[in-house]
Amino acid sequence: MTKKRRARTKLQRRVAGLLALAIALLGIGTLYSFLVPEPQTAQAQEDPAVVRQGEQIFNNTCISCHGPNLEGVKGRGPSLVGIGEAAVYFQTSTGRMPAVMQGAQAEKKPPVLSPEEVDAVAAYVAANGGGPAMPAESGEELRGDNPARGGELFRLNCASCHNFTGRGGALSSGKRAPDLDGATEDQMYAAMLSGPQSMPRFSERQLSPEEKKDIIAYVKSVTDGNNNPGGDPIGGLGPQSEGLIGFIVGMAALVGITLWIGAKQ
Amino acid sequence: MSDEKTPEVPTDEELSRMSRDELARLGMKLDGVELIEYPDPWPVKGTRAEKRAERAVAFWFTLSGLAGLASVAAFIFWPATYVAPEDPGYFMYSLYTPVLGLTLGVAILAVGIGVLLYTRKFIPHEIAVQERHDGGSNELAKRTMVAQLADFGHSTTIARRSMIKRSLGFGGGVLGLALTVIPLGALLRNPHAQSANAEGLLHTGWQHTEPNEKVFLRRDTGDPHEIALVSPADLDAGSMETVFPFRESEREDEEALIAALNRSDNPVMLIRLRPEDATRVIKHAGQEDFNYGDYYAYTKICSHLGCPTSLYEQRTNRILCPCHQSQFDALQYAKPIFGPATRKLAQLPITVDEETGYFVSTGDFNEPVGPAYWERRS
Repeated sequence: MTKKRRARTKLQRRVAGLLALAIALLGIGTLYSFLVPEPQTAQAQEDPAVVRQGEQIFNNTCISCHGPNLEGVKGRGPSLVGIGEAAVYFQTSTGRMPAVMQGAQAEKKPPVLSPEEVDAVAAYVAANGGGPAMPAESGEELRGDNPARGGELFRLNCASCHNFTGRGGALSSGKRAPDLDGATEDQMYAAMLSGPQSMPRFSERQLSPEEKKDIIAYVKSVTDGNNNPGGDPIGGLGPQSEGLIGFIVGMAALVGITLWIGAKQ
Repeated sequence: MSDEKTPEVPTDEELSRMSRDELARLGMKLDGVELIEYPDPWPVKGTRAEKRAERAVAFWFTLSGLAGLASVAAFIFWPATYVAPEDPGYFMYSLYTPVLGLTLGVAILAVGIGVLLYTRKFIPHEIAVQERHDGGSNELAKRTMVAQLADFGHSTTIARRSMIKRSLGFGGGVLGLALTVIPLGALLRNPHAQSANAEGLLHTGWQHTEPNEKVFLRRDTGDPHEIALVSPADLDAGSMETVFPFRESEREDEEALIAALNRSDNPVMLIRLRPEDATRVIKHAGQEDFNYGDYYAYTKICSHLGCPTSLYEQRTNRILCPCHQSQFDALQYAKPIFGPATRKLAQLPITVDEETGYFVSTGDFNEPVGPAYWERRS
């Protein structure tokens, strides 16, 4: 009995030592990853392998309209020199690029490139001319905590084209500002930074990152069915659709009640 | 005038002996109405069906009262302050309007249903026939009626009293005029009455009130007390920003700061063209030095009917007005190229203040801003 117990303790000691070493290593590793700051942006110091992969994808999918050196092809596509990571991210992650055909504007559709391919092309374009990069945060971190101020700024800077609650609207010659349903925080931030298609650009000095995040918080609070206290926004267009539905439903209800009143028992 | 079946008029003694029911029937008969059927809805009193009908009506009235109470309670106690969609309590908040509408709607509907049920269940569904004569009135009635009317007109002697007629015409006419003058007069306004100076509509809030005054271009950050000026480094190529006038003398003047943001002819679009587009710019005579490099400042007020023309397309350099789809070309002194607008957008002369490095306007617009008015020449 006693021998066995002693042997077990020896084994235990060995295992405990190994465990302690593993925990210490893990702890140091975690601490390291916490203490060392993440690289701010993926600009310039991009992994050359990723840039090469991006070049490959660019040559396969983008080159016919944007040219072999990103200089653009007359009558097909604009130059991509200096458009930056943000523009590439917005255009490809929303499926607008690669475009299917020439038209008034490229339409939103399911993205063709995978997220990794998007990053690679963005790295390639950023490495050949620079331009606005994506912010370090992404997703929910890009939502500010003051949607009220965001609403103010949205009405001042964005609502003239995108409508007060992000329903979109018409522009010249068949172009239009899209509705903002389904746009992710990253896409909105990228759009404000890069000014895709007809949209003007909003630099970080014109709208500070905090202001942009507040705008995103506001947009998120009124899109994707959120601005919907009555159960159905009926297009969110205001009095036209609401009036029509009110008229038709109200009329039907009145006719029904009148029939019931006049019915014989 | 159906004199075939005039009911016999009872004597006073008979009248005093008649029951209420008989009196009601007599009244209808005198009007030529005969009750054919006048069924009591509940001939046997106190049946279970009658009790049930009574309870049903009472149920609807009670429901209405309860729903009304619920509505008042919801108005007072339901969380009504804004909650963002992701935050806890959003679901309850989002129900605020529907709950108010539903409870109040049920209250009104239930009262209506109760009243209707009551009339259907408890008011006798009588069938009555009223005697009507055919055709028009007889000759006797027509002639006497005309004679009566003519006699009334004649007896007033108005036809030969011309002084009364004329004075009545004067009095009535002026009264009618007075009644139209009051509502019409309220529509007449002096458009220059609220202007800061005699030239009124010719000038905007960008006008320099004293020589060598610096009027800065200020952005609206949503907080009227925060003064954010614009410098040439702020905008990327292909950007647009709405700016408002700011004077150092107004820095502490809260009212003036808010007034500058709200004055309707103040908003200006500061546009930074892309360099390749800026080389194609065509300037208007007399406005050659109004821009600063790639920066051009145009009024935001449409020259058609004064809507805000803030839809700037940075690729085509078109400025769109959302009201009537007028389009202006930012590369050609914002001249109208589509839609009902016929005048260019006024351009604000800007430069950079050497001391501070911020944009300033060197003067007011050199033409009126916004839609036409009577005195406007162009």
